[in-house]
Parts: sequence; C-alpha cells; structure tokens
Amino acid sequence: MKKSVSRILRMMIAVLLCVVCVVSALGDTVTAGVYDTDMSDSSDEVITLRVCNWEEYIDLGDWDEEELIDLDNGTEILGINSMVEDFEKWYYETYGVKVKVEYSCFGTNEDLYNMLTLGDVYDLVCPSEYLIMKLMAEEKLVPYSEEFFNEENELNYYTRGVSPFIQESFENNEINGEAWSKYAAGYMWGVTGIVYNPEEITEEEASTWAILNNRKYNRRVTIKDNVRDSYFAALGIMKADELTAPDFINAENYYDRLAEEMNDVSPETIEAVQDILQDMQQNVYSFETDSGKADMVSGKVLANYQWSGDAVYTMDQAEEDDFILKFAVPEECTNLYFDGWVMLKSGIGEDTAKQHAAEAFVNFLSRPDNAVRNMYYIGYTSVIAGAAGDDTIFEYVNWCYGAEDDEENVEDYRLGYFFSGDAEDEDYIITVPSEQISRQLYAQYPTEDVINRSAIMQYFDDASNQAINQMWINVRCYNMKDVPVGVWIFCMIVIVAMILLVVLRVMAKRAYKKW
Amino acid sequence: MNGIRFTRKQLCIPYALFLICFVVAPLLVIVYYAFTNGEGQFTLANLSGFFSSPNTIGTLAYSFAIAVVTTCVCLLIAYPVAYILARSNLKRKYAIVMVFVLPMWINFTLRITALKEVLTVLEGNLAYHPFLNSVIGMTYDFLPFMILPLYTTLMKLDNSLLEAANDLGANRAQTFFKVTLPLSVPGIISGIVMVFLPSMTNYVVLDMLYNSTYIMGSLIGSYFAAYDWHNGSMIALILLFIILIFTLFTNKYEAEDAGGRGGALL
Repeated sequence: MKKSVSRILRMMIAVLLCVVCVVSALGDTVTAGVYDTDMSDSSDEVITLRVCNWEEYIDLGDWDEEELIDLDNGTEILGINSMVEDFEKWYYETYGVKVKVEYSCFGTNEDLYNMLTLGDVYDLVCPSEYLIMKLMAEEKLVPYSEEFFNEENELNYYTRGVSPFIQESFENNEINGEAWSKYAAGYMWGVTGIVYNPEEITEEEASTWAILNNRKYNRRVTIKDNVRDSYFAALGIMKADELTAPDFINAENYYDRLAEEMNDVSPETIEAVQDILQDMQQNVYSFETDSGKADMVSGKVLANYQWSGDAVYTMDQAEEDDFILKFAVPEECTNLYFDGWVMLKSGIGEDTAKQHAAEAFVNFLSRPDNAVRNMYYIGYTSVIAGAAGDDTIFEYVNWCYGAEDDEENVEDYRLGYFFSGDAEDEDYIITVPSEQISRQLYAQYPTEDVINRSAIMQYFDDASNQAINQMWINVRCYNMKDVPVGVWIFCMIVIVAMILLVVLRVMAKRAYKKW
Repeated sequence: MNGIRFTRKQLCIPYALFLICFVVAPLLVIVYYAFTNGEGQFTLANLSGFFSSPNTIGTLAYSFAIAVVTTCVCLLIAYPVAYILARSNLKRKYAIVMVFVLPMWINFTLRITALKEVLTVLEGNLAYHPFLNSVIGMTYDFLPFMILPLYTTLMKLDNSLLEAANDLGANRAQTFFKVTLPLSVPGIISGIVMVFLPSMTNYVVLDMLYNSTYIMGSLIGSYFAAYDWHNGSMIALILLFIILIFTLFTNKYEAEDAGGRGGALL
C-alpha cells in the first residue's frame, strides 16, 4: 500500500514539474490576463478586443504637468493615462459595456503579415497601405459597418473628422473594385524625404533622390534597410529626367502617370534598380533600420532618407542640442504613405459586439483631443482634421509652429488642402517663422506642391514580389564573383598547407608505429 | 515520506519536454519547409538554388571569412593571456580572470553600442572598414569564450612534464612547442567551437557596426521577412549541417589527440 502511494506521489511530482514548465512558458499570457480589478464588480460580459499596432505608435500617457498643451480655443490636453486605458473607461461610460483591450505591437508590416499567417489572431490591426491592399485582395478584412459612416452620429469622430484630402485618397484607391475606405480607416500619414544638415548640404542637393548616390557625400548618407523604400528611391534616381520634364509634369493625367511610373515592376526596371542600389551600397553609410535618427543627431551622417514622422522626431531631438537639421522632399516624386486600422475576419468574424468595440476604438483615437495626444507623443501626422466647428487640430498646428505676435521674418503657410479640401481656403493659413518652412512643419504637414508630386506605392503581386526580393538579396549579398584574386590565391595556399600538414602527420604516425 | 525517490527517467521528463517543444518540433518544421515549395509539394529546388547562386555561396564564404578571421584573432589574443595567467604565481589570479569574464555580464548590444562610439573616434567614419569593424566587434564579443577554456586547460597542465622536458635538455621554446601547446589542444578546440560557430551567424554585430553585407543569419532573416519560409528554412538547415560536420570533425580530432598524443608523451 505504502509503495503505491509513493509511486502516485512521484507521478504527481513529475506532472507538477511539467505543469511548472508549461506555466512558465505561458507566463506572459497568464499575467496579461490579470488586470484592473475595479472592473470585475458586476457579472456583465466583458468584450476582449485584440489590437496590434506599430511599436511606439500610441500615447502611453504619464506626461509631466508642464507638457500641458493649452490651445487658443480653450482646449487643454494632457495625457495622464494611456490611450488604451482611457478608451476602456470611455467605452464603459458611453455604451455601458465593458471592454478589455489586449494591446500588442509589431515591428514591420512583414512581421505582422507573418504573425497573421502563422495563426496569431487579432481583431484590429494598423498596417501600412500596401499591406492593407494585400489583405483586401486576400479577402481577409471585415468592412466597416454602415453606422460607422453616419455623419449624424456625434460619436463617429472618424467619419466626421477625417481630412477631406485623406478621404479622397481612400475613396479613389480601389482593390478588386472596392474602395479602401470601405475596409480601412486612416490613422497616421506622411511622405518620404531627406533630413539633412544645412551646414554641409544645400537645399538643392538634398531635394533630389540622387543625393543618395552623390559621391561628394560618400559614406555620409544613409538609407532605409527596407526593400520598398529603397526601390522607390532608386526609381526616383533612374527616372529623374523623365519625372522632372515639363511635358510630363504639365500633362493632364500627370497624377496617374506618376503613380504608374513609380509602380513600375517590369523585369528591365528591376534589373536597372539593382544596378543603382549596388552603386548606392558603395556610397551610403549604412542601410539602417533604426539607427539613422541617432546618427543624424550625433552628426555621424549628413543626410538620411526618412519617413516624415521620424524626420520630425529627428529634428526635434537635434534641436534640443541646438543643432539645426532640415527636411527636403525630392523634386522628382515622393512616396505618400498611410497607416490605417483594419478589422480582421479571423478575429472579428460575425461578432457584432466586438466589431462595435473595434469601430469605437478607431473613433476614440480620432477624437480631436486624442489625435493631438498621439501626434504629440509619436511625432507623426494624424489623418484627422477635425469636425466642422471643432478647430482643435488646426489650433494644435498653430500652437506647435505658429509665429509669436512680435516675430519678424514670418510667412503664411497654407493648409487648406488638408483641413477643408480647398487649397486656397483663407481660414486655414497659419503664420509661421520662415525657417519652419523647411523644417518640422514642412515634414509634418507638407505643402500642397509636395502632395501634388506624391505617389502611392501599390503592393507587389507574388511574382514581382519574388523578383524584387531576389533583386534585394543580390544587392545585399556578397557575390562570389567579387572575391579578389589575392584572396583566392591565399585560400589556395592555406588549403595546400593544410593538406600537407595532414599528410605529414599521417606519415609521422606510420613511422612511429613501425618504430 | 522517505519513500519518494525519482528514477533517473522521471528526472529527465522536464528536460525532455523542453527539448521536444522547443528544439525537436521546430526542427521538424524547418525540415518540412526546406523540402517543400509554396504548394506544399516535395522539392529539391531550394537545395539546388542555394548552391547554384553566386550570392548565397558568396554569403556563405563571407560569413566563413569573418568567422575564420575572428577565431584566429581571438586565439592569438587569448592564448598568451591565458598562458601568462595560468603559469604566473600571482596570488589573485581569479580576480584577474574575473576581469576578463566581467564583460560577459553586460548585455552584448550595450557593449557593441559602446564599441561603436570608440571605433568612430578611432576611425572617423565606420563605413569605410566594414569587414574590419565586424571582426573587431565579434572579437570583442567572443574573446572571453576563448580565454576561459584555454585558461582551464593550461591550469591543469602537469608541472612535472615541463620539468621533465627541462631535465632532458629542452629549451623554453622547445618545451612550449613540444609539450605545452600539444597538451592545450583540447582547450584550443573548445575555444574555437565556442567562437567560430556563433560568429558565422551573429548578424546583430554587423547591423550595429554598419556592415550592410549579409551574412548567413541576415540572409535567413531576409527570406523570412519576404514570406519565403522555404528558402529560409533550407539555408538554416544547410547551416545546421555545416555546424554538425564541424562539431563531428573537432570531436574526432579531440578524441584522437587525447589517445594518440598522450600515449606518445608517456
């Protein structure tokens, strides 16, 4: 009897050890499940909303008192709690339903796509435009409900507040005959350009993609370690003459032709791009994933290819050390990009309560004061312009960049294209110090000419995707054909020497055995 | 309660579970992906693709070159240090060894960030010497792994053998090359294994020191980022195979050495 008890005990302990292993492996999930106890007072059902966003792409709160943004229209904005916590509270107060947001992050669009293919389930994600297109084409998205687009509802902050310029882009771009706007709600947007050090580089030199191949700044410029951005820049260099020709610019269908040129994935073009990028690799400081901002601020490099939001951040950082950097958008063309919220079929399914929470989350982020909080925190530009009668966003731009009353050297900066859809709108002009026109303001809210020469980069279909990735690998890999003759000879000598050594060793051993 | 005893098998369960979940299962997935194409059919195209492209072979050669140079540099730096430490009469030997091991306690990305700044001061512009920087970074990272095994082997060296060599008329150089060096081969080999293999794939060092040429690790990563699991897995498998051959080779050499040479000395 005793024996069998101890046997059972042993088994139990072995099982216990296994459980400990498994539990420690799942530790993250378990701790993530334990949250605000003040919500568990009633037995109401809690909706769990799984959100996946870019890293550092939402306000986490915890601002200092002195960071208070007090706008001329009387609005005061201060991020105390994180945006996610505020949403949970707001949703309960507004709709009387509890929602728990499981917030996680991804590093790149490709990571997100891989996570989704490998079976991670999310309800609401925020990829860039080309992944939105890909997900739309693969029919993985749930369309926004009709109620979401109802402008009468005051709580529909997104539909009421989205900039007409963004709305137009989302309506004009289609995948399989359906507009983006049906499946995606914008979050942040921007253009790509060059942050440069004006003491060493002139504005003219920085305002062309060719700066990346300019031997004058050999090993002093950086580019993104990202095949799409590099491809775009290389196209800009390759087609520079064509893109800046007056005939091309003044053509009636300029915008369509520009988009076509910047989405050229023909085999000959890919081959030509490879040559340009190989040449570029010999000229740039590095292909950087995240170090470019710091290297720009520390002065290691003089110019850096950047997304406008990161450019704002870089210039802000440099300014803290009284180091002035500027932003230029290449003359040829710039890449207009968006990040937007999409709902996934795999997560939301038919669950209308969950879809309601997801749409409310988008609306909550689009509430003008929250849009300001996010913009202040991350440096990118929100797609929200503000509903009629609510000028919070415009006042925020004015608060950030507007000139002081007694300042000299000021200029008018027109933002009508963004706020009302009419570029000439007299209501949306801010008076700014002249230098801002080439700095943060220019990066955060580019001028209308920049928008006019911008193109959206489509997603590549599978075949061209493979060709372009192969091209990228060819650029980045060391080619056997490049091995110098000296190295070959050296390797031969080493190999011969090693063979000799082995032979000698074997012979010595034989001699020893005989002896 | 003294009746509770674990058999050896039962004690192995946690480790076996760990091994199955995190080593064997992923390995099987890699093998599956490596030998299939996008449609899930068996194919050898990934394998032949690797060996027919000058770029992938070039990457292998480049990784190999970095690893070989790093290992040689580590050995050249570590051997004298380990030798001097082991043979000296210093009272606080362990304290000095600690100084060499200490850097291992600091996260390596932090160390490389610091190294980046130092190298920038020395060289001005890091981008002009990508290969050199990578080797310096790797050496900085892996040097302790070379010093420690060498130090332990040399510490265990029997002094009477050296005295015997002296008695029989060998000078110091002869003693070193005929006695000390052959007897420290096991330490050299474990040092090489610990430095060579990781430095073939540690692409974070290259990334952080602005060497934009791919090595094996970054090549696999780039395939995975492009949703190409099949080619990426194949390269991972090939790398694993190279490591296997390398380990078998060194093990064989080590065993042979312990038997043959030891006998010859006695």
